This record gives sequence, C-alpha cells and structure tokens, in this order.
Amino acid sequence: MSFDLTPGEDLRQILDAAQAMLDSHYPVARLQEGMGGDDLDPLEDFGAFALALPEDAGGAGFSIVEEAHLHVALGRHLVGPGALASAIARRLDAGVTACIGVASNGTWTLVDPEGADHAVIRVDGGFGLSPVTDPKTTAPLGAGLPVAKMARTGTNRPVDADLARLLAAAQLLGVATGARDLAVDYAKIREQFGQPIGTFQAIKHHTANMTLGIEMVSALLDMAAIALCDGHPDAGFQVAALTRLAPRVALDNARTGIQIHGGIGFSAEANAHLFLKQAHVLAQFIGPADLLSLPAPLAPYGDNA
Amino acid sequence: MNAMQLDMTAEDEAFRAQARDWLIHNRPTAPAPREGQASRTYATDWLAKCAAAGWSGLAWPKEYGGHGLSPARLLIWYEEYARARAPSPLDCTFVALNHAGPTVFARGTEAQKAFHLPRILDGRSIWCQGFSEPGAGSDLASLKTTGRIEGDHLVVNGQKIWSSYADIADYQELLIRTDPGSKRHKGLSWVICDMTLPGITVRPIRNMAGVTHFAEVFYDDVRIPLDAVVGEVNDGWSVAMTTLAFERRTAAMALQLDLSVKVEELIALARPTPGTATAERLADLRAEAAGVRAMTYRTALRDPDTPFDGSLVRLTFAELAQRIERAAMDVLGPDGLTDSHWTHGYLESYSETIAGGTAEIQRNIIAERILGLPREARL
Repeated sequence: MSFDLTPGEDLRQILDAAQAMLDSHYPVARLQEGMGGDDLDPLEDFGAFALALPEDAGGAGFSIVEEAHLHVALGRHLVGPGALASAIARRLDAGVTACIGVASNGTWTLVDPEGADHAVIRVDGGFGLSPVTDPKTTAPLGAGLPVAKMARTGTNRPVDADLARLLAAAQLLGVATGARDLAVDYAKIREQFGQPIGTFQAIKHHTANMTLGIEMVSALLDMAAIALCDGHPDAGFQVAALTRLAPRVALDNARTGIQIHGGIGFSAEANAHLFLKQAHVLAQFIGPADLLSLPAPLAPYGDNA
Repeated sequence: MNAMQLDMTAEDEAFRAQARDWLIHNRPTAPAPREGQASRTYATDWLAKCAAAGWSGLAWPKEYGGHGLSPARLLIWYEEYARARAPSPLDCTFVALNHAGPTVFARGTEAQKAFHLPRILDGRSIWCQGFSEPGAGSDLASLKTTGRIEGDHLVVNGQKIWSSYADIADYQELLIRTDPGSKRHKGLSWVICDMTLPGITVRPIRNMAGVTHFAEVFYDDVRIPLDAVVGEVNDGWSVAMTTLAFERRTAAMALQLDLSVKVEELIALARPTPGTATAERLADLRAEAAGVRAMTYRTALRDPDTPFDGSLVRLTFAELAQRIERAAMDVLGPDGLTDSHWTHGYLESYSETIAGGTAEIQRNIIAERILGLPREARL
C-alpha cells in the first residue's frame, strides 16, 4: 500500500532488539551515580550509528524512519547525547567520536565531551561538525550532564539540519515518554488519602496532558521522517513543526513528572529530575526553526482557484 | 525500505485532481445561513448536489449506496474539501451521515436500511440526536427517559436536551430506558423516532453565539412502533457505541484537516512580522495544526486492528480549534467586535470541549483506558 502508517515488521524487530540492549546496558537507574560519560560501545556493537547508512558503506541499509524510532528508545533511557552526535557525525566521517554543542558569541558550549574528538555544533540557523580542541571543563547546572567550553574554530563541515533536528526531536520524544511512564507508574503505587494518587482527576489530567503531547509529537515524527526519507517537498515544513513542538512537550512532561512525584520528585534520589535535565540539553541543541517562512502543505485555494 | 509510506499513486493523484476540480467549480459561494429552515435548505441542496455527482457517502460501504473509499482516499477528499473552503460538514446533515446512517447499516433491519439509508445519502432526511438529558450529560448512562412496551409500540415519556437541529430534523436517534428498574448501561434501547409523531414538543435553545440550532425535546406518551428499534430491545448501549469508531476515525477527519487550512487563513490575515509575539504564536498554532494533521493521518492509515482511542486526537483538535479562534480575535483587534465568520466561529468554538464528551471526561478516559490509572468510585 502506498499510504500506510502501520509500523512494519522490520521496525518492530529492531525496536525489540534495541529494548533488550537498552534495558541491559542503559537502565535509567545507572544515572543515580551522575549523568554523563555513558559508554557507547554497546550501541556501537548494536549498529545504532550505522542503522541508516547504505550497506556498501558498512551500514544496515535501513532508513531514517527506523533510525528515528531507535532514537526515541534512546531518549527514553536518557542515553548520553554522544549517541545523537555520533549518529549525525558518522554520516560525514566514519572515524569520529562526537559530542553535541551549541555556539554562542564565538564560544562553543560542549555537552558531555569526555573522549570526543569532534562536536556536532548548532551554529545560528544550522549545524556543523568540527574537531574538538582544548575544551575547558565548566561546572554544569546542578547534577546535570558535564559541560566544557572551547573557542570557536574555523573548520566547520556543514551537517544536514533537518536530519540533526529529526533525530534530536526523536530523543526529546523519548524523554517525554519516559517522564510520563515514570510518573504514571508512581501514581499507581503512591497512596494518599487512602488510595493511589492516580485515582484523583488532578493527577489523571496531568498524565492525560503528557500523553496528548507525546501522541502529537510522535505522529509528527513519523510524518517528518517519512517525508525526509522519501524526499517529499514538505519535509522541511514537517521537521520545522516538529522542532517547535518536541522540546516544549519534553520540558512540559519533565516538569509535570517532577510535580506528580511531589517531594521525592524534587530530590536528586528519584529519577524524575534526570528527564528534565536531558530535555533541557536537547532543547538547547535542537534550537529554533523558522516555520512561518516555509510553504504549508495544506493551504486554502484562493477565490480565483 | 520502510513499511510506513505516504506516496500517492498516479490513481491517487488523478482522484485528487478530480476532487479538487469538482469542489472548486461546485462549492456554494454564498455563506451558509446559520439557523432554521434556510440552513437546512442550504445544507441539503449541497448534499444533493454532491450525491448527484457521486460525492456523497464516500466512507459508507458500497452495498448501502456509498463508495467505500479507502482511508487514504478519504484523507485526500477532505484535504481538497478544506482547501476549497466547501461548506462545513458539521451542519444539519452531520448526525445522519456520520452517526445515524452508520448505526442503521451496522445494526438495522433490512426494512430500516432500505427506507432510511437512501434518504440520508441525498439529503432528503435530516436526523438529530436524542441522547443527553438535563440530568444525564457526561453521565449519559444515568438517562431516565422511558419507553414502556404496549403491544407493538413503545410509549415514550421524558425529556432530551442539546439535541442539535431537532427543530428542523425528520428523525431522531433516541436512546431511552425500556427495561423498568434497570440501571446504567443496561436496559436501554436505540430507537428511530419520527419527529412528526404526536406528543413531541421541541423547544429551541439559543446558544451563546446567538444562534438557535439545538433544542430541548419533550415526549408525552409518544407512541413509536417497536419496529423502529435498532438492534435488540434493551441492547441500546451497544448500538449507540457501534459507530463510535466510525465517527471518531472518519467523521472527525474533515474537521481536523480543516484546522490546518484555517491556520493558513489566519496567517494570511495577520501577515505577522517575523520575530514578533504574534509571529511566534502563529508559528506554534501552525505547528500544532500540522500535529493534528499527522495524528489524523496516523489514525486513518494504521492497520484497522491497531488498538485505537479517538480521545487523543479528538481532544487535541478541540482545544487547538479554540486557541486558533482566540488568536484570530487578537489578530482582528477592533474588527473582532463585529459579526463575521471569524467572530461567529470564535463563539461557536466554545462548544468544542463540551459537545460529544467534555474535555474533562476525555482526559479521564485517556488516563484510565490508555494509561491504566485506577477508576474513581462511580455510583
């Protein structure tokens, strides 16, 4: 069928295998020791960074659609952003180990740069790949991912911005989903007034709102990934819409997740805050998108049509 | 490589071109009257024109006079419909085409099908819904209007409310309690009520937009033949739920896709300067309308066996529609104080989060049925 959004069997198998790998190597509880410094070898062995590369380039020959769904799963497990950076960077250079970063006034802020020789940097309206030189570690926001600063370099290879945003949005969707699931699980077991707090409409409606955001971003992610994969003319529009929505939903869900947890949600001992910090970093990386400048796929015909 | 695809075939493209061409040349150009017989005439003339050209009942099965179009073709049709600014499908033909008709073809007798379905498809019969009561809104299963079996008739007594177009409808899908002493969802029947029967009184209610298109309906010993019951007597709840998926998957499609076009109209009206607060707000609305379109595609184009809950897209649509209409008022400024299709649409949009299940009930459903949170105690 030419028009079909049923996830295919290939995708289901990839995600099942990825889930087993993530559960075993990247349980969210690992981050109780602190965020950052994830060993990405299990992902490398899984072929995560070569999923959508052509088979003659050593890849698995799947598409950006499967890859986007894999990054949703990575997002749920709060895998270090080096995985996102590597997936993007390997398309330009198979030999690099990359971190992500954001440019501002001649300074680049790198996130979780330990061991990275390159950085995928968001610069103004686009993205580039540059070597990492002489980064200076800086104190990160509380208990968040490590950061370092370095001076801007001139060797910036352009990166496909739609691709970078799509995968970042996929991870943000994963963060939004993980935050929701953690909060829902907690609402089922935490009791107050003699019953699980999930019985109360105030809590139910929070979780419903989290789900509405997830569903919208998830549907849009499929549209954008398919459009990008198949070269549809509306690909830029779909990615820009996704770029506007994905960070907002991830940050909203992370906030609501902390709120539903109550006091323990404000502590560093529960996992709720980890989702906020991951969303915070990814939102910086994905940046803004100029949606209004793009032609809409569904516009009214004029009166003279 | 990936199974998920959105590629139109040459046949799809031809269908799109044909739909676009027909709609642009045949849509009414005069604005729709807002109430009364004039609104009925406008809506039924348009439906009759669609029917004559083969564009009515697109989602209905072929054996009942429809076209049995695939979900993909329906998406194409409704996108073209929205782009051509054809009349709102949410007019007095809506209940018949999207709820009563599908219920009759799914659960009705051969006689019921043969009589009613052709009349619905070409606009000869207008239907209204008789579900809500003054004491049974969100809690529909607490309804009290009764039908007492006397020989081969039901004798109906009670009151319905919020029945849209009851003042101009020929038939009503009427949900009543036919098993005396029954509780909640049990003991109800789904009945075709002829609105001309003696004992029916319709009292129109003006809505907050100043328009009269819903009504209270009173039943005083109304005698309805038993052969007007659809499905089994006392099995009315399951009959009422039969077409929920049809309604949510198909009927909502037109309205949801229309939001994207409405946002573009608003952007064209506002001509926002980049970087301003208005531009940011319109960009968000544009992104969310694209999100609703993507949710509509997902709902329509997934394997029909995929578990499905219409609450997500329905509620997202309703709340976004209200935000778009409110943004239009802020764009219009003083022009928002005078009557226009924008100001009328703004006031009408307040019904979106109430009619057909309030936003609060939809959120409860999402939390309980999708997320598995514990149900509240219910009496």
